Amino acid sequence: MRGYEELQHTADVALRVWGRTLPELFVAAAEGMFALMGAPERLDSERELELEAEDLEALLVDWLNELIYLRDRYQELYSSFDVQVWPSWRLHGVARGGKAKPQGALIKAATYHGLTIGRLEEGEGFVAEIVFDT
Amino acid sequence: MAFDLGVLRKLDEYLFEIPASYNAGMRVPARIYADREILEMAARDRSLEQLANVAWLPGIVGFALALPDIHEGYGFPIGGVAATDMKQGVISPGGVGYDINCGVRLLATNIDAAQARPFLQALVDAAADAIPAGVGRGGDVRLRRERLDDALEGGAEWAVQAGFGRREDTEHCEENGRMPWARAGAVSSRAKERGGDQLGTLGAGNHFIEIDEVLEIYDEEAANAYGLRKGQLVAQIHSGSRGLGHQVCTDYVQRFQSVVKREGYRLPDRELVCAPLASQEGQDYLAAMSAAANFAWANRQVMTEFMRRGFEKVGAARGLRIELFVVYDVAHNVAKVERHTVNGRSLELCVHRKGATRAFPPGHSAIPAAYRAVGQPVLVPGDMGTGSYVLRATEKAMREAFGSCCHGAGRALSRAGARREMTAEEVRATLAEQGIAVRAGSAKGLVEEAPGAYKDIHHVVEVVHGAGIATKVAYLRPLGVVKG
Repeated sequence: MRGYEELQHTADVALRVWGRTLPELFVAAAEGMFALMGAPERLDSERELELEAEDLEALLVDWLNELIYLRDRYQELYSSFDVQVWPSWRLHGVARGGKAKPQGALIKAATYHGLTIGRLEEGEGFVAEIVFDT
Repeated sequence: MAFDLGVLRKLDEYLFEIPASYNAGMRVPARIYADREILEMAARDRSLEQLANVAWLPGIVGFALALPDIHEGYGFPIGGVAATDMKQGVISPGGVGYDINCGVRLLATNIDAAQARPFLQALVDAAADAIPAGVGRGGDVRLRRERLDDALEGGAEWAVQAGFGRREDTEHCEENGRMPWARAGAVSSRAKERGGDQLGTLGAGNHFIEIDEVLEIYDEEAANAYGLRKGQLVAQIHSGSRGLGHQVCTDYVQRFQSVVKREGYRLPDRELVCAPLASQEGQDYLAAMSAAANFAWANRQVMTEFMRRGFEKVGAARGLRIELFVVYDVAHNVAKVERHTVNGRSLELCVHRKGATRAFPPGHSAIPAAYRAVGQPVLVPGDMGTGSYVLRATEKAMREAFGSCCHGAGRALSRAGARREMTAEEVRATLAEQGIAVRAGSAKGLVEEAPGAYKDIHHVVEVVHGAGIATKVAYLRPLGVVKG
């Protein structure tokens, strides 16, 4: 039960993402972000990340920005993710993808602007809204 | 979410103010150059709320300012200016933006547009072939790390020394294409890895190369000084600091999160994170942002030389000598240390311009000698269907607007909205109808930047002209476009 949808924002690209658990939320955010850029043809590259941040919001922003850095550094796109999150606040992540040319809007960064992470109203789970600079 | 326009005070025909009493955090009022229609458009989204938020910045001086191309950004609105005191104030990466020194360079040719008509597509192709475009796309100029550090500290001047262009190119750049505060050591190795191979590349999004005709001249004296005449073929390069600049912003937004806590700053939006200009973190960001700005100037300089060589070849094949001269090059996203008079006191300020152009008046020492009598050229590109304006800055801009003016039309539709409203085929057809030749890297990018996604450039320019912070010199009509 995870997913994402694009929201209206005049200047930029914004996403609402959700997941049953925090790791699922982080995976959904990465999937949603890369869905805006296209898909790699083959998954022949695996990148591992270790992150630490001041709070949960910062961890989510750092996770996405780290993936954007890897995209540019290695000219890759990613479509499969594993994430583990520990409170106060650490993340271990794996991104799988391959060489690809991104399509559409150039996503430069995930921002703190209008960033929210909350509980889903019904049942268990988390929802976040993220605005990207393009 | 609509903003209540009732809180605005009208100061002048085209100048409105949100009083500092609007909310508890504002340290100064916020002002906007606009008319009723532009205010109503801005009131529909969070633009004006964001403008009021900027007035919370510690050490902000005078007022937070917006130009008529204002639209919603993240933290800061786009089309805004914030001047902070160098001693007591802060510097904020959000007030500059992720694409540090995204800017525009206007190039003049020695030929007429009518002459170029028969081989226009060849010129568009020459530009597209010479300059790699697209997201994260690297270029042919691969620099060793120490050479990249030279580019970061030397800017456009470094590019000319490295063989990309002529010395007079940099004389017609804001800051001569080189910010003196740059320090390559303040830029992370990740930023250098991310953008190091992108010198001489256009990028994607709203970045473009355009070939235009000078359709109208409104001010002969200034046009003469700028080397512009009716019917002339000119070109524009709109690009920035690429992945390198984006990573500098990301790095410092992250680093400043803890600075805000340490300093106990109360901010209404986390994207307004900032650090005292007098702190190590503030100084490091100023040095890194300046280095990224220099990278952008080097980038536009390298692209200029690629285009120059491409155009020369196209001309040579037809027995024509096509030359390119730099008219001017302005930054749209940058923070600069400048001296301004506020309430009768001369102050050293850090002027953040996010989606705004520096506009210095006649006689200012920072303007190239050839333009000093008429004032700095202000370049205002529109969207790809409608054309662009060249303006000249006035004394009033210096007195009332921290030497600043608008930077473009400003978005009216979100990217997603634009994709819903039209298709790439429709955009191509509209452009073809107007005789505009196009080379686009992606259909999605073409739609997102289509005419209709932006506000009316003529309207935006009428407001700044009417307000008297810049006056019209020339209007450029697009003939050909290269999009990333």
